[in-house]
Amino acid sequence: MDELDLLKKDWQSKNTSKEQQFSSKDIYPMLLKKSSSIVKTLYYISIAELVFWIVINSVPYFSSEKYREDIEAIYGNSATVLIITILSIAIVILFVYLLYKSYKSISVTDSAKQLMESILKTRKVIKYYVIYNLVVAFLSMAFGLYYTVYRNPDIAPQFAEFSDKQMLITLLIMILVIAAFVFVFWVIYQLIYGILLRRLNRNYNELKKLEA
Amino acid sequence: MDKALEHSFVELLEKHQNIVHKVCRLYTNNQDAHNDLFQEITIQLWKAYPKFRGDSKFSTWMYRVGLNTAITLYRKSKRSIKTEEFENVQFKIKSEPYDDTEEQQLKLMYKAVHKLNDIEKALIFLYLEDKNYSEISETLGITEVNARVKMNRVKTKLRTILNP
Repeated sequence: MDELDLLKKDWQSKNTSKEQQFSSKDIYPMLLKKSSSIVKTLYYISIAELVFWIVINSVPYFSSEKYREDIEAIYGNSATVLIITILSIAIVILFVYLLYKSYKSISVTDSAKQLMESILKTRKVIKYYVIYNLVVAFLSMAFGLYYTVYRNPDIAPQFAEFSDKQMLITLLIMILVIAAFVFVFWVIYQLIYGILLRRLNRNYNELKKLEA
Repeated sequence: MDKALEHSFVELLEKHQNIVHKVCRLYTNNQDAHNDLFQEITIQLWKAYPKFRGDSKFSTWMYRVGLNTAITLYRKSKRSIKTEEFENVQFKIKSEPYDDTEEQQLKLMYKAVHKLNDIEKALIFLYLEDKNYSEISETLGITEVNARVKMNRVKTKLRTILNP
């Protein structure tokens, strides 16, 4: 008999031992336990991302009148600030909607490939949200820097005394610091999702390889 | 969720639990991890149960949810890191006397199966459960032709592990 036939025969004849079987009394409490699936973890991370960036973006608005005034001074008038604020709220709402939709599409009764694709799509939405926030953070810092150096009435005169070379070096250092800040954030995200979805990615690639 | 639904679910799961245990055996290597995965599959089955229409058999539906949980959703717990001798824990040797060589061969086979990757394990699991290629392709989301090709490769891989 072929080894595989032998294995199949043994596998099918084998039933779970009595000690290992669960009774209905054991199963009922299991229904009340919380899932620890990667979808649940991804869900909590995405909520944390949303809250984190909303807090980061809105805390200064509520905490300091001076900051608000500074922002308005940077953009020239309060109408621009209002438009930007409404736009960023709309973008957050759009992301919440997209996240909700992609979570809804995750179904454990789909085929393995479809399930993996739905999860990866959800991860993509979170990724775009993070990229959006990092780009906005980078632009705001760069814009703030430009304003400080060239427009801020308290600081600009000091920079005006710098030679071209000194100015270039200062700006380069500042841009590098901002880029490093954004990069560190990016690496942290890659690590979090990389570890969480490592197995899923590996299995998804394995399935995709079959279709190639 | 109402009690009647809960009751019918628990009754069905208790009756068909062997399928879930078999998935757990393939994807874990100690009793704690086995129970952890069983727990997670039970939660996933229960969450999906209200949508179970009964147009497919409960057992067929369980294969899909069980494998999806093992391959995709399950996050290995810390406890699963601790490994014990696979065949000692998971596959109790039959009590009735039989051929020693056969026993040895089976031990090696189970060890070899455990060395396969997650997708290969899923394929061999469905083969061992006598599922046809149409069911295998639907469960995994690949074409029947690719399921056949991959299955043959997995079988060859197993034979190579056993007869290097």
